[in-house]
Amino acid sequence: MLGVLRSMLTTLSTTMRRPVTRQYPESHRPIPERERAFPLLLWDHGVDEPYCTGCQACERACPCKCMTVTMKDNPRQAEGTSKRRKIVDTFWIDYGRCMRCNICVEVCNFDAIAMNNTWTGIELSAYDRHDLVMDLDELLALSRAGGIVPWAEYVGEENQKLPPRAVQAARTLAGRGPA
Amino acid sequence: MVADFDTIDININVGPQHPSTHGVFRMVLTVDGELVRDLDAVVGYLHRGAEKLLENQDYRQGIGIQDRTEYLAQFPAEQSYVMAAEKLGGFVVPERAEYVRVICVELNRIASHFMFMGAYGTDVGVFGTSFIYGFRERERVYRFFEELTGERMMYSYFRVGGLAWEVMDGFEEKARALLQELKRGINDINGLLTRNEIFIARTRHVGEISAERAIEYGLSGPVLRSTGVRWDVRKDEPYSVYDRFDFDVPVGEFGDCYDRYMVRLEEMRQAVRIVEQALDQMPKSGPIMPEKMPRMLRLPAGEVYVPVESARGEYGVYLVSRGGNHPWRCRVKSPCFTNLQALREMTVGEYVADSVVILGSIDLVLSEVDR
Amino acid sequence: MMPVLGYWFGIAWLDAILRLAVIAGVMTVVVIFLTYAERKVIARVQQRLGPTRTGPAGLLQGVADALKLVLKEDLRPTTADRWVFELAPFMVFVPVFLTFVAVPFTRDLGVRFLSLGLFYIVAVSSLNIVGFIMAGWGSDNKYALLGGVRAAAQMISYEVPLVLTVLGVAMVASSLDIRVITERQDVVPYIVWQPLAFVVFIIAGLAEMNRTPFDIPVAESEVVGGPTVEYSGIRWSFFQLAEYSSLFVLSALGADLFLGGYIWPFGSNPPGWLQLILILVKTSFMILMIFWVRATFPRLRIDQLMSYCWKVLIPVTVAQLFFNGLVLVYRWPDILLLVFSGALLVGATAATAVAVRRAARRPRDAQAVRDRRLQYARGA
Repeated sequence: MLGVLRSMLTTLSTTMRRPVTRQYPESHRPIPERERAFPLLLWDHGVDEPYCTGCQACERACPCKCMTVTMKDNPRQAEGTSKRRKIVDTFWIDYGRCMRCNICVEVCNFDAIAMNNTWTGIELSAYDRHDLVMDLDELLALSRAGGIVPWAEYVGEENQKLPPRAVQAARTLAGRGPA
Repeated sequence: MVADFDTIDININVGPQHPSTHGVFRMVLTVDGELVRDLDAVVGYLHRGAEKLLENQDYRQGIGIQDRTEYLAQFPAEQSYVMAAEKLGGFVVPERAEYVRVICVELNRIASHFMFMGAYGTDVGVFGTSFIYGFRERERVYRFFEELTGERMMYSYFRVGGLAWEVMDGFEEKARALLQELKRGINDINGLLTRNEIFIARTRHVGEISAERAIEYGLSGPVLRSTGVRWDVRKDEPYSVYDRFDFDVPVGEFGDCYDRYMVRLEEMRQAVRIVEQALDQMPKSGPIMPEKMPRMLRLPAGEVYVPVESARGEYGVYLVSRGGNHPWRCRVKSPCFTNLQALREMTVGEYVADSVVILGSIDLVLSEVDR
Repeated sequence: MMPVLGYWFGIAWLDAILRLAVIAGVMTVVVIFLTYAERKVIARVQQRLGPTRTGPAGLLQGVADALKLVLKEDLRPTTADRWVFELAPFMVFVPVFLTFVAVPFTRDLGVRFLSLGLFYIVAVSSLNIVGFIMAGWGSDNKYALLGGVRAAAQMISYEVPLVLTVLGVAMVASSLDIRVITERQDVVPYIVWQPLAFVVFIIAGLAEMNRTPFDIPVAESEVVGGPTVEYSGIRWSFFQLAEYSSLFVLSALGADLFLGGYIWPFGSNPPGWLQLILILVKTSFMILMIFWVRATFPRLRIDQLMSYCWKVLIPVTVAQLFFNGLVLVYRWPDILLLVFSGALLVGATAATAVAVRRAARRPRDAQAVRDRRLQYARGA
């Protein structure tokens, strides 16, 4: 019966250790910088328009065909405030289909798309699957508010030049504490 | 004179919604009291057409499908697929990338075996304790992977030719710290189950299969090695950089459920050894992709089969290319599907309670069986 | 303190009803607390937090569960045998309820003190087998049937060693009155004289209560809850109520019989409050042990369970009874009780361990064993 006693000692020893679970909605585990939640579009704060030109490279590369992109002429190029000749017109991503493979980020020529690495991208339960189809405004919202610091290797460095306050807010949101 | 009672055998339908069928597997047991007379395994509830999907996706997109085909040992599945494509295209993988791959694969093997230990304990009847022990350690590995790849489970980290991106800062220290914790986790499981008399009574001489029958069935992985056959793809047909490591291939004696458990437990220790050696030998810097990789991958026509030693056995990808950017045919050789064939032979003549344990000891991943 | 000797108000029937109401109330509270305690203890063993949401530290979790069960729809399968199905939970519950009657908690606190209390408890508690068979049969479900039959086999078999162990204690105390047995332990509790009886009492008790490692009838991973699989709502909660109150009764009984109950180690007549604390501490100790066992062990298989009972437990307990008889009849010194019982305990555990190890090492022809089993089952 020594084996039985050994089992009981093992369980006794784990009783002495700290719990490994946590109070989930209140206490988030810090999530790593490279976290890949769902793809988001980035906002060019310098010119005040999206980086995305609607070139559809991501749409073609998407393995589960969850994206729909259209392009239009950029009116601000005519005004002379922007260098982009074309700009995204509409952009839908069906988060219900997306499999978070990161390929869209890799193929993007303009570093216009990034994976959401904050908690906002993880808790996305919805009552209706249509609520998971995100349109252009929803995709840009987080970046426009300065709430995302994309990982440098996903997107170019220049996309990370965000206002410091926004960076701070994003880090808090991501459970990483103030910078 | 005792009256001759006519007893009838009843059919019990275990699954697809039974708590211990490890997914959506169904077995129809014909039982005579507590004794299993016949077993009919029904698979296919999780068929998602992964092979057909792979035919319609280019080589980079296919990697994500591989993760989902084998959702407990994702890295071996990815590795098999990218190695097949590399072999077809004749790419040489940089050494550093190979080492990172080996580390990932072996850690993934540990995570998968921990998952097995947890679920197996529950099958045998431990009230959740083994489950938590297993999941606790598995979660540590997954955290590490999340830090490395950005995803907890569906990594898509390997690429044809190398890796998607560089490892994170402090990779080596973090990996070593992880290994220390995993060793303690292995000891916990070991202390909880290995020498427990009740566990021995429940699993020893249960679901035995002889080495000859195992080979005839084409079993592989721990189920085969538990019968005493020392066959491990890593050792016998070394791929990647496995020939540079010093590790043992544990084998069992009787080919029963206890041996399958012990083989897996020992394999975890050996995996720790491999990771330690890999961390020592790994070049500290260097490329992770070959110099000249085309932006859009097009492989020459041909066919290739690449097996790897996954956590459950020989996982192989058979690729047929007719040129172009996607495979013409991609067939996945699933270890669980082959191992499942022996289930009937192992179970008939055992008790109802054992059928669950035997099923658990095969360590099923249904998505890989049905694909 | 409940005035137990003499009737309340002097009216017999009113008194009986009041006492029943008291038991029902106490049982509910005990069960609600025990479910919470079990979840919390097992959570700690498993390095989890356990219930934390309902009330402070999750204390109201049991209440919330009970409310939910009461409000839940009471389902009955259309093919079920109606009356058998609907009455089964009560058939399981009532015997446990009845055992509550005879357990003395302190010298003055108890429902009724019976001079044949031990006999009464043993007799009544074995009745709930009927309930499990009814549930298993009436549900018209194969899992339930399998579980019900398993329960019958197991509980009838383990009734025997349970009786034999309490008999050993009764012999030493030469009484069947639980209060007398308890009060004979003012110097040395009977666990010292009868260690084997204590261990077997816990083992057989676990089997009687269908708890790990003997939860074969209700095995979650095999028969998905066994006889209770088709029950929901209030009827299911009766099974739960029966399980946890029998846990409590058995632990209190074990404390009374083996651990010196409300007396030891404070002389022959400690004050009332101390008696209550003593019995609660000892009962909690027993319950904690049982929770710990539940969090640790795998489950036995039905044939191993039966052979363990008939080949190990019953022979050793009978042998213990025999030696007890020798010691008591010939008035040998009491220490010999311990010697015999302890030797049997050590011998039996060692023999079991060796048997398991040897069986594990011995190679065998698996296919032949299976074929023989199949043939034997056919009656060939």
